[in-house]
Amino acid sequence: MGNSFFHSFLQMNTIFISIVVEALPFILIGVFFSGIIQIFVTEEMLSKLIPKNRFLAVLVSVLLGFIFPGCECGIVPIVSRLIAKGVPPYAAIAFMLTGPIINPIVLFATFIAFGNNIHMVILRCLTAIIVAYITGIVLSYSKIQNPLLKEHTIPVNYNVPLKQKLWDVCVHAIEEFFSMGKFLIIGAFIAASVQTFISTDALVKIGHGPFLSSLVMMALAFILSLCSEADAFVASSFQSTFSTSSIVAFMVFGPMVDIKNTFMLFNNFKKGYVLRIIGLAFGITLLLTTFI
Amino acid sequence: MARAYMLFGFTVFLVQLHVSGNITKYINMKYSYLSLTAAILFGLLTVIQVIHVFKTEGNHDHEHDHDCDHTCHHGHVHKKEKGFKRFLSAIVFIFPVFTGLFLPISTLDSTIVDAKGFHFPVSEPGNNDPFMQRQYLKPDLSVYYGEEGYKQLIKQETKEFVNKNHIELNDENFLKGMEVLYDNPGIFLGTKVTYKGFVYREKTLNNNQLFIFRFGIIHCVADSGVYGMLIDFPKKSDLKNDQWVEVTGTLKQMYYQPFKTTIPYLQVDNLKEVKPPNEPYVYRNK
Repeated sequence: MGNSFFHSFLQMNTIFISIVVEALPFILIGVFFSGIIQIFVTEEMLSKLIPKNRFLAVLVSVLLGFIFPGCECGIVPIVSRLIAKGVPPYAAIAFMLTGPIINPIVLFATFIAFGNNIHMVILRCLTAIIVAYITGIVLSYSKIQNPLLKEHTIPVNYNVPLKQKLWDVCVHAIEEFFSMGKFLIIGAFIAASVQTFISTDALVKIGHGPFLSSLVMMALAFILSLCSEADAFVASSFQSTFSTSSIVAFMVFGPMVDIKNTFMLFNNFKKGYVLRIIGLAFGITLLLTTFI
Repeated sequence: MARAYMLFGFTVFLVQLHVSGNITKYINMKYSYLSLTAAILFGLLTVIQVIHVFKTEGNHDHEHDHDCDHTCHHGHVHKKEKGFKRFLSAIVFIFPVFTGLFLPISTLDSTIVDAKGFHFPVSEPGNNDPFMQRQYLKPDLSVYYGEEGYKQLIKQETKEFVNKNHIELNDENFLKGMEVLYDNPGIFLGTKVTYKGFVYREKTLNNNQLFIFRFGIIHCVADSGVYGMLIDFPKKSDLKNDQWVEVTGTLKQMYYQPFKTTIPYLQVDNLKEVKPPNEPYVYRNK
Protein backbone atom coordinates (compact mmCIF):
# COMPACT_ATOMS: atom_id res chain seq x y z
CA MET A 1 0.00 0.00 0.00
CA GLY A 2 2.75 2.37 1.01
CA ASN A 3 4.57 1.40 -2.11
CA SER A 4 1.62 2.05 -4.37
CA PHE A 5 1.09 5.41 -2.73
CA PHE A 6 4.69 6.32 -3.43
CA HIS A 7 4.21 5.17 -7.00
CA SER A 8 1.14 7.40 -7.39
CA PHE A 9 3.04 10.22 -5.77
CA LEU A 10 5.80 9.95 -8.36
CA GLN A 11 3.21 9.96 -11.15
CA MET A 12 1.59 12.99 -9.59
CA ASN A 13 4.96 14.69 -9.25
CA THR A 14 5.69 14.08 -12.93
CA ILE A 15 2.42 15.75 -13.93
CA PHE A 16 3.11 18.55 -11.46
CA ILE A 17 6.60 19.22 -12.81
CA SER A 18 5.30 19.09 -16.37
CA ILE A 19 2.69 21.76 -15.62
CA VAL A 20 5.34 23.90 -13.94
CA VAL A 21 7.80 23.45 -16.82
CA GLU A 22 5.09 24.23 -19.34
CA ALA A 23 3.84 27.30 -17.46
CA LEU A 24 7.17 28.85 -16.49
CA PRO A 25 7.89 30.45 -19.88
CA PHE A 26 4.44 32.02 -19.89
CA ILE A 27 4.62 33.39 -16.39
CA LEU A 28 8.04 34.84 -17.23
CA ILE A 29 6.55 36.57 -20.26
CA GLY A 30 3.77 37.81 -17.98
CA VAL A 31 6.05 39.27 -15.34
CA PHE A 32 8.25 40.91 -17.97
CA PHE A 33 5.21 42.52 -19.56
CA SER A 34 4.10 43.63 -16.14
CA GLY A 35 7.54 45.13 -15.61
CA ILE A 36 7.40 46.91 -18.94
CA ILE A 37 3.97 48.33 -18.13
CA GLN A 38 5.21 49.46 -14.72
CA ILE A 39 8.31 51.21 -16.02
CA PHE A 40 7.34 52.45 -19.48
CA VAL A 41 3.59 52.99 -19.54
CA THR A 42 2.30 56.12 -17.87
CA GLU A 43 -1.12 56.60 -16.31
CA GLU A 44 -1.89 59.24 -18.93
CA MET A 45 -1.24 56.87 -21.81
CA LEU A 46 -3.66 54.34 -20.35
CA SER A 47 -6.38 56.83 -19.54
CA LYS A 48 -6.26 58.03 -23.14
CA LEU A 49 -6.55 54.48 -24.41
CA ILE A 50 -9.52 53.41 -22.28
CA PRO A 51 -12.77 55.31 -22.95
CA LYS A 52 -14.46 57.03 -20.02
CA ASN A 53 -17.85 55.51 -20.71
CA ARG A 54 -18.03 52.16 -18.94
CA PHE A 55 -19.88 50.36 -21.74
CA LEU A 56 -17.27 51.45 -24.25
CA ALA A 57 -14.43 50.83 -21.82
CA VAL A 58 -15.46 47.22 -21.27
CA LEU A 59 -16.01 46.73 -24.99
CA VAL A 60 -12.52 47.97 -25.81
CA SER A 61 -10.99 45.79 -23.08
CA VAL A 62 -12.88 42.70 -24.14
CA LEU A 63 -11.63 43.08 -27.71
CA LEU A 64 -8.08 44.01 -26.73
CA GLY A 65 -7.30 40.32 -26.37
CA PHE A 66 -7.39 39.93 -30.16
CA ILE A 67 -4.19 41.86 -30.56
CA PHE A 68 -2.63 41.25 -27.19
CA PRO A 69 -1.67 37.63 -26.71
CA GLY A 70 -1.83 36.61 -23.08
CA CYS A 71 -2.34 33.27 -21.47
CA GLU A 72 -4.09 32.55 -18.23
CA CYS A 73 -0.98 32.03 -16.14
CA GLY A 74 0.73 35.18 -17.33
CA ILE A 75 -2.19 37.54 -17.40
CA VAL A 76 -2.89 38.06 -13.69
CA PRO A 77 0.30 40.05 -13.03
CA ILE A 78 -0.39 42.16 -16.12
CA VAL A 79 -3.96 42.90 -15.07
CA SER A 80 -3.16 43.86 -11.49
CA ARG A 81 -0.43 46.13 -12.83
CA LEU A 82 -2.90 47.78 -15.19
CA ILE A 83 -5.32 48.40 -12.31
CA ALA A 84 -2.55 49.83 -10.16
CA LYS A 85 -1.83 52.16 -13.09
CA GLY A 86 -5.36 53.47 -13.04
CA VAL A 87 -7.22 51.31 -15.57
CA PRO A 88 -10.77 50.81 -14.24
CA PRO A 89 -10.76 47.38 -12.56
CA TYR A 90 -13.89 46.18 -14.35
CA ALA A 91 -12.28 46.91 -17.71
CA ALA A 92 -9.04 45.23 -16.71
CA ILE A 93 -10.93 42.15 -15.51
CA ALA A 94 -12.90 41.99 -18.76
CA PHE A 95 -9.56 41.96 -20.59
CA MET A 96 -8.28 39.26 -18.24
CA LEU A 97 -11.25 37.03 -19.04
CA THR A 98 -11.04 37.17 -22.84
CA GLY A 99 -7.28 37.66 -23.25
CA PRO A 100 -6.37 33.98 -22.88
CA ILE A 101 -9.17 32.88 -25.23
CA ILE A 102 -9.52 35.22 -28.16
CA ASN A 103 -5.86 35.72 -28.92
CA PRO A 104 -4.75 34.52 -32.36
CA ILE A 105 -2.58 31.65 -31.12
CA VAL A 106 -5.35 30.09 -29.07
CA LEU A 107 -7.96 30.58 -31.78
CA PHE A 108 -5.69 28.91 -34.28
CA ALA A 109 -5.11 25.98 -31.91
CA THR A 110 -8.88 25.66 -31.49
CA PHE A 111 -9.37 25.73 -35.25
CA ILE A 112 -6.84 22.95 -35.65
CA ALA A 113 -8.08 20.85 -32.72
CA PHE A 114 -11.58 20.68 -34.12
CA GLY A 115 -10.57 19.46 -37.50
CA ASN A 116 -10.28 22.85 -39.16
CA ASN A 117 -13.77 23.70 -38.11
CA ILE A 118 -14.37 27.43 -37.90
CA HIS A 119 -17.76 26.93 -36.26
CA MET A 120 -16.23 25.91 -32.93
CA VAL A 121 -13.81 28.83 -33.03
CA ILE A 122 -16.65 31.29 -33.49
CA LEU A 123 -18.71 29.72 -30.71
CA ARG A 124 -15.81 29.80 -28.30
CA CYS A 125 -14.90 33.34 -29.18
CA LEU A 126 -18.43 34.75 -29.00
CA THR A 127 -19.32 33.02 -25.76
CA ALA A 128 -16.12 34.28 -24.15
CA ILE A 129 -16.78 37.84 -25.30
CA ILE A 130 -20.36 37.81 -24.02
CA VAL A 131 -19.38 36.31 -20.66
CA ALA A 132 -16.55 38.80 -20.20
CA TYR A 133 -18.64 41.76 -21.32
CA ILE A 134 -21.49 41.05 -18.90
CA THR A 135 -19.05 40.29 -16.09
CA GLY A 136 -17.24 43.57 -16.73
CA ILE A 137 -20.43 45.62 -16.78
CA VAL A 138 -21.81 44.02 -13.60
CA LEU A 139 -18.46 44.55 -11.86
CA SER A 140 -18.49 48.20 -12.82
CA TYR A 141 -21.50 48.65 -10.53
CA SER A 142 -19.72 46.85 -7.71
CA LYS A 143 -19.09 48.77 -4.50
CA ILE A 144 -15.48 47.67 -4.44
CA GLN A 145 -13.74 50.38 -6.40
CA ASN A 146 -10.20 49.38 -5.60
CA PRO A 147 -10.04 45.60 -5.68
CA LEU A 148 -6.26 45.39 -5.21
CA LEU A 149 -5.11 43.90 -1.94
CA LYS A 150 -2.04 46.02 -1.56
CA GLU A 151 -1.04 49.30 -3.07
CA HIS A 152 1.37 48.14 -5.73
CA THR A 153 2.00 51.62 -6.89
CA ILE A 154 5.60 52.41 -6.30
CA PRO A 155 6.15 55.88 -7.68
CA VAL A 156 8.01 55.62 -10.94
CA ASN A 157 10.38 58.20 -12.24
CA TYR A 158 9.90 58.24 -16.02
CA ASN A 159 12.88 60.51 -16.55
CA VAL A 160 15.65 58.02 -16.09
CA PRO A 161 17.91 56.80 -18.89
CA LEU A 162 16.75 53.84 -20.97
CA LYS A 163 19.47 51.60 -19.59
CA GLN A 164 18.23 52.24 -16.07
CA LYS A 165 14.66 51.60 -17.22
CA LEU A 166 15.52 48.23 -18.71
CA TRP A 167 17.30 47.32 -15.52
CA ASP A 168 14.24 48.32 -13.51
CA VAL A 169 12.02 46.17 -15.73
CA CYS A 170 14.15 43.15 -14.84
CA VAL A 171 14.24 43.91 -11.13
CA HIS A 172 10.52 44.42 -11.21
CA ALA A 173 10.02 41.16 -13.10
CA ILE A 174 11.94 39.27 -10.42
CA GLU A 175 9.82 40.84 -7.71
CA GLU A 176 6.67 39.87 -9.58
CA PHE A 177 7.89 36.37 -10.35
CA PHE A 178 8.30 35.63 -6.67
CA SER A 179 4.92 36.96 -5.73
CA MET A 180 3.08 35.19 -8.59
CA GLY A 181 5.15 32.05 -9.10
CA LYS A 182 4.31 30.76 -5.65
CA PHE A 183 0.62 30.51 -6.50
CA LEU A 184 1.27 29.03 -9.89
CA ILE A 185 3.29 26.28 -8.23
CA ILE A 186 0.68 25.59 -5.53
CA GLY A 187 -2.06 25.55 -8.17
CA ALA A 188 -0.09 23.19 -10.40
CA PHE A 189 0.45 20.90 -7.44
CA ILE A 190 -3.23 20.72 -6.62
CA ALA A 191 -4.21 20.22 -10.26
CA ALA A 192 -1.70 17.36 -10.58
CA SER A 193 -2.98 15.74 -7.37
CA VAL A 194 -6.55 15.89 -8.58
CA GLN A 195 -5.59 14.41 -11.94
CA THR A 196 -3.84 11.52 -10.21
CA PHE A 197 -6.01 10.78 -7.20
CA ILE A 198 -9.51 11.67 -8.25
CA SER A 199 -11.18 9.79 -11.01
CA THR A 200 -12.10 12.29 -13.69
CA ASP A 201 -13.65 9.41 -15.54
CA ALA A 202 -16.25 9.10 -12.77
CA LEU A 203 -16.94 12.80 -13.12
CA VAL A 204 -17.41 12.45 -16.84
CA LYS A 205 -19.92 9.69 -16.31
CA ILE A 206 -22.30 11.91 -14.31
CA GLY A 207 -22.49 14.47 -17.05
CA HIS A 208 -25.79 14.06 -18.85
CA GLY A 209 -28.38 16.60 -19.86
CA PRO A 210 -27.50 20.10 -21.00
CA PHE A 211 -27.18 21.63 -17.54
CA LEU A 212 -25.24 18.84 -15.87
CA SER A 213 -22.91 18.27 -18.78
CA SER A 214 -21.94 21.94 -18.91
CA LEU A 215 -21.42 21.86 -15.17
CA VAL A 216 -19.24 18.77 -15.35
CA MET A 217 -17.16 20.15 -18.21
CA MET A 218 -16.62 23.41 -16.34
CA ALA A 219 -15.61 21.54 -13.20
CA LEU A 220 -13.22 19.52 -15.34
CA ALA A 221 -11.74 22.67 -16.90
CA PHE A 222 -11.21 24.15 -13.45
CA ILE A 223 -9.54 21.01 -12.13
CA LEU A 224 -7.34 20.20 -15.10
CA SER A 225 -5.96 23.76 -15.26
CA LEU A 226 -4.76 23.30 -18.81
CA CYS A 227 -2.96 25.94 -20.78
CA SER A 228 -5.45 27.69 -23.03
CA GLU A 229 -3.36 26.72 -26.03
CA ALA A 230 -3.67 23.02 -25.26
CA ASP A 231 -7.18 22.81 -23.87
CA ALA A 232 -8.89 22.70 -27.25
CA PHE A 233 -7.15 19.43 -28.06
CA VAL A 234 -8.30 17.90 -24.82
CA ALA A 235 -11.78 19.32 -25.34
CA SER A 236 -11.99 17.78 -28.78
CA SER A 237 -11.40 14.34 -27.30
CA PHE A 238 -14.66 14.77 -25.40
CA GLN A 239 -16.65 15.60 -28.50
CA SER A 240 -18.34 12.26 -28.65
CA THR A 241 -19.26 12.02 -25.00
CA PHE A 242 -20.32 15.64 -24.52
CA SER A 243 -22.53 18.07 -26.32
CA THR A 244 -21.05 20.93 -28.31
CA SER A 245 -22.31 23.51 -25.84
CA SER A 246 -20.70 21.81 -22.85
CA ILE A 247 -17.42 21.62 -24.75
CA VAL A 248 -17.71 25.35 -25.37
CA ALA A 249 -18.30 25.75 -21.61
CA PHE A 250 -15.06 23.85 -21.01
CA MET A 251 -13.09 26.05 -23.37
CA VAL A 252 -14.57 29.31 -22.13
CA PHE A 253 -14.57 28.78 -18.38
CA GLY A 254 -11.21 26.96 -18.16
CA PRO A 255 -9.00 29.81 -19.37
CA MET A 256 -11.01 32.33 -17.34
CA VAL A 257 -10.92 30.48 -14.04
CA ASP A 258 -8.86 27.45 -13.09
CA ILE A 259 -7.02 26.26 -10.01
CA LYS A 260 -3.77 28.03 -10.89
CA ASN A 261 -5.15 31.46 -11.55
CA THR A 262 -7.70 31.31 -8.73
CA PHE A 263 -4.73 31.18 -6.36
CA MET A 264 -3.09 34.08 -8.12
CA LEU A 265 -6.32 36.10 -8.07
CA PHE A 266 -6.78 35.63 -4.32
CA ASN A 267 -3.23 36.76 -3.82
CA ASN A 268 -3.81 40.00 -5.70
CA PHE A 269 -7.42 40.99 -5.23
CA LYS A 270 -9.82 41.34 -2.35
CA LYS A 271 -11.65 38.12 -1.55
CA GLY A 272 -15.10 39.54 -2.27
CA TYR A 273 -13.96 40.76 -5.68
CA VAL A 274 -12.44 37.43 -6.69
CA LEU A 275 -15.60 35.60 -5.61
CA ARG A 276 -17.63 37.99 -7.70
CA ILE A 277 -15.42 37.45 -10.77
CA ILE A 278 -15.58 33.68 -10.40
CA GLY A 279 -19.29 33.68 -9.60
CA LEU A 280 -20.15 35.84 -12.60
CA ALA A 281 -17.93 34.00 -15.06
CA PHE A 282 -19.30 30.70 -13.78
CA GLY A 283 -22.97 31.69 -13.76
CA ILE A 284 -22.99 33.36 -17.15
CA THR A 285 -21.01 30.62 -18.89
CA LEU A 286 -23.35 28.00 -17.45
CA LEU A 287 -26.46 29.93 -18.46
CA LEU A 288 -25.24 30.64 -21.97
CA THR A 289 -24.10 27.12 -22.68
CA THR A 290 -27.15 25.47 -21.16
CA PHE A 291 -29.66 27.44 -23.13
CA ILE A 292 -27.94 27.88 -26.44
CA MET B 1 20.21 36.50 -1.81
CA ALA B 2 17.88 33.58 -1.18
CA ARG B 3 16.02 34.66 -4.31
CA ALA B 4 19.17 34.54 -6.38
CA TYR B 5 19.70 30.95 -5.24
CA MET B 6 16.12 30.05 -6.16
CA LEU B 7 16.40 31.65 -9.59
CA PHE B 8 19.68 29.83 -10.03
CA GLY B 9 17.91 26.63 -8.99
CA PHE B 10 15.30 27.07 -11.74
CA THR B 11 18.04 27.83 -14.28
CA VAL B 12 19.95 24.70 -13.35
CA PHE B 13 16.79 22.60 -13.33
CA LEU B 14 15.69 23.68 -16.80
CA VAL B 15 19.18 23.42 -18.27
CA GLN B 16 19.57 19.98 -16.72
CA LEU B 17 16.28 18.86 -18.30
CA HIS B 18 17.50 19.92 -21.71
CA VAL B 19 21.02 18.56 -21.36
CA SER B 20 19.90 15.18 -20.05
CA GLY B 21 17.09 14.99 -22.57
CA ASN B 22 14.61 14.31 -19.78
CA ILE B 23 12.55 17.22 -21.01
CA THR B 24 10.84 14.77 -23.38
CA LYS B 25 9.31 13.07 -20.36
CA TYR B 26 7.49 16.29 -19.48
CA ILE B 27 6.67 18.19 -22.63
CA ASN B 28 6.32 17.78 -26.36
CA MET B 29 9.69 18.67 -27.91
CA LYS B 30 7.87 20.83 -30.40
CA TYR B 31 7.59 23.37 -27.59
CA SER B 32 11.05 22.87 -26.15
CA TYR B 33 12.20 26.26 -27.45
CA LEU B 34 9.85 27.85 -24.94
CA SER B 35 11.42 26.22 -21.94
CA LEU B 36 14.87 26.84 -23.34
CA THR B 37 13.99 30.52 -23.57
CA ALA B 38 12.77 30.34 -19.99
CA ALA B 39 16.08 28.81 -18.92
CA ILE B 40 17.99 31.67 -20.55
CA LEU B 41 15.70 34.26 -18.93
CA PHE B 42 16.15 32.62 -15.53
CA GLY B 43 19.90 32.74 -16.02
CA LEU B 44 19.69 36.42 -16.87
CA LEU B 45 17.45 37.13 -13.89
CA THR B 46 19.84 35.27 -11.58
CA VAL B 47 22.68 37.53 -12.64
CA ILE B 48 20.51 40.62 -12.30
CA GLN B 49 19.32 39.57 -8.86
CA VAL B 50 22.89 38.99 -7.66
CA ILE B 51 24.00 42.39 -8.90
CA HIS B 52 20.85 43.96 -7.48
CA VAL B 53 21.54 42.47 -4.05
CA PHE B 54 25.14 43.69 -4.07
CA LYS B 55 24.10 47.12 -5.23
CA THR B 56 21.43 47.66 -2.60
CA GLU B 57 23.51 46.14 0.15
CA GLY B 58 26.73 47.75 -0.92
CA ASN B 59 28.17 48.11 2.53
CA HIS B 60 27.54 44.67 3.80
CA ASP B 61 30.12 42.00 4.10
CA HIS B 62 29.70 39.83 1.02
CA GLU B 63 31.39 36.89 2.57
CA HIS B 64 28.42 36.36 4.83
CA ASP B 65 25.50 36.11 2.53
CA HIS B 66 23.75 33.59 4.68
CA ASP B 67 23.62 36.13 7.50
CA CYS B 68 22.25 38.66 5.11
CA ASP B 69 18.96 36.91 4.80
CA HIS B 70 18.15 37.71 8.36
CA THR B 71 19.63 41.11 8.75
CA CYS B 72 19.47 42.93 5.49
CA HIS B 73 15.91 43.52 4.59
CA HIS B 74 15.72 46.92 6.26
CA GLY B 75 17.70 48.35 3.44
CA HIS B 76 15.67 46.85 0.61
CA VAL B 77 13.66 48.90 -1.78
CA HIS B 78 10.78 46.49 -1.82
CA LYS B 79 9.12 45.18 1.25
CA LYS B 80 9.56 41.49 1.75
CA GLU B 81 7.66 38.95 3.73
CA LYS B 82 9.23 38.12 7.02
CA GLY B 83 10.05 35.13 9.15
CA PHE B 84 7.92 32.05 8.85
CA LYS B 85 5.91 33.26 5.88
CA ARG B 86 9.09 33.91 3.97
CA PHE B 87 10.36 30.50 4.85
CA LEU B 88 7.15 28.91 3.60
CA SER B 89 7.21 30.70 0.30
CA ALA B 90 10.84 29.71 -0.17
CA ILE B 91 9.78 26.10 0.36
CA VAL B 92 7.17 26.46 -2.37
CA PHE B 93 9.82 27.54 -4.89
CA ILE B 94 12.39 25.02 -3.79
CA PHE B 95 9.92 22.12 -3.86
CA PRO B 96 9.51 21.70 -7.65
CA VAL B 97 13.22 22.23 -8.25
CA PHE B 98 14.04 19.65 -5.62
CA THR B 99 11.53 16.99 -6.64
CA GLY B 100 12.28 17.67 -10.28
CA LEU B 101 16.01 17.23 -9.84
CA PHE B 102 16.13 14.44 -7.29
CA LEU B 103 13.03 12.30 -7.51
CA PRO B 104 12.94 9.72 -10.27
CA ILE B 105 10.84 10.79 -13.23
CA SER B 106 8.07 8.32 -13.60
CA THR B 107 6.35 7.37 -16.78
CA LEU B 108 2.60 7.70 -16.85
CA ASP B 109 1.00 4.30 -16.58
CA SER B 110 -2.20 2.49 -15.71
CA THR B 111 -2.57 4.50 -12.48
CA ILE B 112 -3.30 7.52 -14.62
CA VAL B 113 -5.50 5.61 -17.05
CA ASP B 114 -7.52 4.54 -13.99
CA ALA B 115 -7.90 8.13 -12.87
CA LYS B 116 -8.37 9.84 -16.18
CA GLY B 117 -10.15 7.05 -17.92
CA PHE B 118 -10.21 6.63 -21.65
CA HIS B 119 -13.14 7.63 -23.71
CA PHE B 120 -14.53 6.02 -26.65
CA PRO B 121 -17.13 7.70 -28.73
CA VAL B 122 -20.65 6.48 -28.49
CA SER B 123 -21.26 6.12 -32.12
CA GLU B 124 -24.69 6.24 -33.57
CA PRO B 125 -24.87 4.77 -37.02
CA GLY B 126 -25.37 7.32 -39.72
CA ASN B 127 -24.35 10.21 -37.57
CA ASN B 128 -22.34 12.47 -39.78
CA ASP B 129 -22.37 15.50 -37.53
CA PRO B 130 -18.86 16.91 -37.80
CA PHE B 131 -18.98 17.59 -34.06
CA MET B 132 -19.43 13.91 -33.45
CA GLN B 133 -16.13 12.89 -34.92
CA ARG B 134 -14.64 10.07 -33.03
CA GLN B 135 -11.37 10.86 -31.54
CA TYR B 136 -10.38 8.95 -28.50
CA LEU B 137 -8.20 5.96 -29.15
CA LYS B 138 -8.26 7.27 -32.63
CA PRO B 139 -5.89 10.13 -33.15
CA ASP B 140 -7.45 12.64 -35.46
CA LEU B 141 -4.75 14.22 -37.52
CA SER B 142 -7.15 16.01 -39.80
CA VAL B 143 -6.37 18.83 -37.47
CA TYR B 144 -3.02 19.41 -39.06
CA TYR B 145 -4.00 19.57 -42.65
CA GLY B 146 -6.82 21.27 -44.45
CA GLU B 147 -9.91 19.19 -45.12
CA GLU B 148 -8.83 18.52 -48.69
CA GLY B 149 -5.22 18.04 -47.85
CA TYR B 150 -6.26 15.76 -45.08
CA LYS B 151 -8.39 13.55 -47.28
CA GLN B 152 -5.59 13.38 -49.75
CA LEU B 153 -3.11 12.59 -47.05
CA ILE B 154 -5.30 9.93 -45.54
CA LYS B 155 -5.79 8.49 -48.97
CA GLN B 156 -2.09 8.57 -49.56
CA GLU B 157 -1.33 7.21 -46.11
CA THR B 158 -4.00 4.62 -46.44
CA LYS B 159 -2.42 3.63 -49.72
CA GLU B 160 0.91 3.57 -48.00
CA PHE B 161 -0.43 1.15 -45.42
CA VAL B 162 -3.00 -0.71 -47.44
CA ASN B 163 -0.62 -2.41 -49.80
CA LYS B 164 1.24 -3.93 -46.92
CA ASN B 165 0.11 -7.16 -45.46
CA HIS B 166 2.03 -6.38 -42.30
CA ILE B 167 1.86 -2.92 -40.70
CA GLU B 168 4.53 -2.12 -38.15
CA LEU B 169 3.99 0.96 -36.00
CA ASN B 170 6.94 2.66 -34.33
CA ASP B 171 7.41 5.86 -32.31
CA GLU B 172 7.16 8.03 -35.42
CA ASN B 173 4.20 6.55 -37.20
CA PHE B 174 2.20 5.35 -34.20
CA LEU B 175 -0.42 8.09 -34.07
CA LYS B 176 -0.60 8.29 -37.86
CA GLY B 177 -0.99 4.56 -38.20
CA MET B 178 -3.60 4.26 -35.46
CA GLU B 179 -5.58 6.94 -37.18
CA VAL B 180 -5.50 5.23 -40.53
CA LEU B 181 -6.56 1.96 -38.92
CA TYR B 182 -9.41 3.49 -36.98
CA ASP B 183 -10.46 5.62 -39.89
CA ASN B 184 -11.16 2.80 -42.19
CA PRO B 185 -10.81 -0.51 -40.38
CA GLY B 186 -12.83 -2.26 -43.06
CA ILE B 187 -10.09 -2.24 -45.66
CA PHE B 188 -7.49 -3.50 -43.20
CA LEU B 189 -9.37 -6.54 -42.03
CA GLY B 190 -7.03 -9.49 -41.94
CA THR B 191 -3.91 -7.32 -42.05
CA LYS B 192 -1.20 -8.04 -39.54
CA VAL B 193 -0.36 -5.18 -37.19
CA THR B 194 2.60 -4.91 -34.84
CA TYR B 195 3.09 -2.25 -32.18
CA LYS B 196 4.44 -1.70 -28.71
CA GLY B 197 2.57 -0.45 -25.70
CA PHE B 198 1.70 -1.15 -22.11
CA VAL B 199 -1.04 -3.42 -20.86
CA TYR B 200 -4.18 -1.93 -19.42
CA ARG B 201 -6.84 -4.25 -18.09
CA GLU B 202 -10.24 -2.73 -17.93
CA LYS B 203 -12.54 -4.30 -15.36
CA THR B 204 -15.40 -4.94 -17.72
CA LEU B 205 -13.29 -6.87 -20.23
CA ASN B 206 -13.20 -10.64 -20.41
CA ASN B 207 -10.06 -12.17 -18.98
CA ASN B 208 -8.83 -13.00 -22.45
CA GLN B 209 -8.98 -9.36 -23.51
CA LEU B 210 -6.97 -6.30 -22.63
CA PHE B 211 -5.91 -2.96 -24.05
CA ILE B 212 -2.43 -2.06 -25.18
CA PHE B 213 -1.97 1.65 -24.95
CA ARG B 214 0.56 4.38 -25.34
CA PHE B 215 0.30 7.87 -23.99
CA GLY B 216 0.14 10.57 -26.64
CA ILE B 217 1.16 14.08 -25.68
CA ILE B 218 -0.07 17.42 -27.03
CA HIS B 219 1.84 20.03 -25.01
CA CYS B 220 2.85 18.45 -21.76
CA VAL B 221 2.27 15.34 -19.73
CA ALA B 222 -0.73 16.95 -18.03
CA ASP B 223 -2.73 16.96 -21.25
CA SER B 224 -1.87 13.46 -22.41
CA GLY B 225 -4.31 10.74 -23.37
CA VAL B 226 -4.02 7.10 -24.27
CA TYR B 227 -4.13 5.60 -27.76
CA GLY B 228 -4.12 1.99 -28.76
CA MET B 229 -6.26 -1.04 -29.43
CA LEU B 230 -8.10 -3.85 -27.81
CA ILE B 231 -6.27 -7.16 -27.93
CA ASP B 232 -8.04 -10.49 -27.97
CA PHE B 233 -6.35 -13.69 -26.86
CA PRO B 234 -7.48 -17.21 -27.62
CA LYS B 235 -7.42 -18.01 -23.92
CA LYS B 236 -7.01 -16.29 -20.55
CA SER B 237 -4.06 -13.92 -20.33
CA ASP B 238 -2.06 -13.32 -17.16
CA LEU B 239 -0.38 -10.14 -18.28
CA LYS B 240 -0.29 -7.47 -15.60
CA ASN B 241 -1.04 -3.77 -15.96
CA ASP B 242 1.89 -1.70 -17.21
CA GLN B 243 3.81 -4.61 -18.63
CA TRP B 244 5.28 -3.36 -21.90
CA VAL B 245 4.71 -5.75 -24.74
CA GLU B 246 5.15 -5.96 -28.45
CA VAL B 247 2.08 -7.40 -30.02
CA THR B 248 1.48 -8.76 -33.47
CA GLY B 249 -2.06 -9.57 -34.37
CA THR B 250 -4.60 -9.78 -37.11
CA LEU B 251 -6.98 -6.89 -37.41
CA LYS B 252 -10.65 -7.69 -36.93
CA GLN B 253 -13.73 -5.80 -36.00
CA MET B 254 -16.26 -6.30 -33.27
CA TYR B 255 -19.15 -4.63 -31.56
CA TYR B 256 -17.94 -3.48 -28.21
CA GLN B 257 -20.75 -3.05 -25.73
CA PRO B 258 -19.27 -0.56 -23.21
CA PHE B 259 -18.43 1.78 -26.09
CA LYS B 260 -21.63 0.93 -27.93
CA THR B 261 -19.76 0.90 -31.18
CA THR B 262 -17.84 -1.25 -33.57
CA ILE B 263 -14.13 -1.06 -32.99
CA PRO B 264 -11.18 -2.64 -34.66
CA TYR B 265 -9.20 -5.03 -32.47
CA LEU B 266 -6.27 -7.36 -32.84
CA GLN B 267 -6.59 -11.10 -32.67
CA VAL B 268 -3.23 -11.86 -31.16
CA ASP B 269 -0.77 -13.98 -33.14
CA ASN B 270 2.32 -13.26 -31.23
CA LEU B 271 3.05 -11.28 -28.11
CA LYS B 272 6.31 -10.81 -26.30
CA GLU B 273 7.21 -8.88 -23.19
CA VAL B 274 9.65 -6.08 -23.86
CA LYS B 275 11.53 -3.49 -21.84
CA PRO B 276 9.83 -0.08 -21.60
CA PRO B 277 11.19 2.00 -24.49
CA ASN B 278 13.41 5.02 -23.92
CA GLU B 279 10.69 7.20 -25.33
CA PRO B 280 7.54 5.92 -23.69
CA TYR B 281 5.35 8.63 -25.16
CA VAL B 282 4.31 9.48 -28.67
CA TYR B 283 3.88 13.12 -29.62
CA ARG B 284 1.75 15.19 -31.89
CA ASN B 285 4.57 16.51 -33.90
CA LYS B 286 3.35 18.24 -36.98
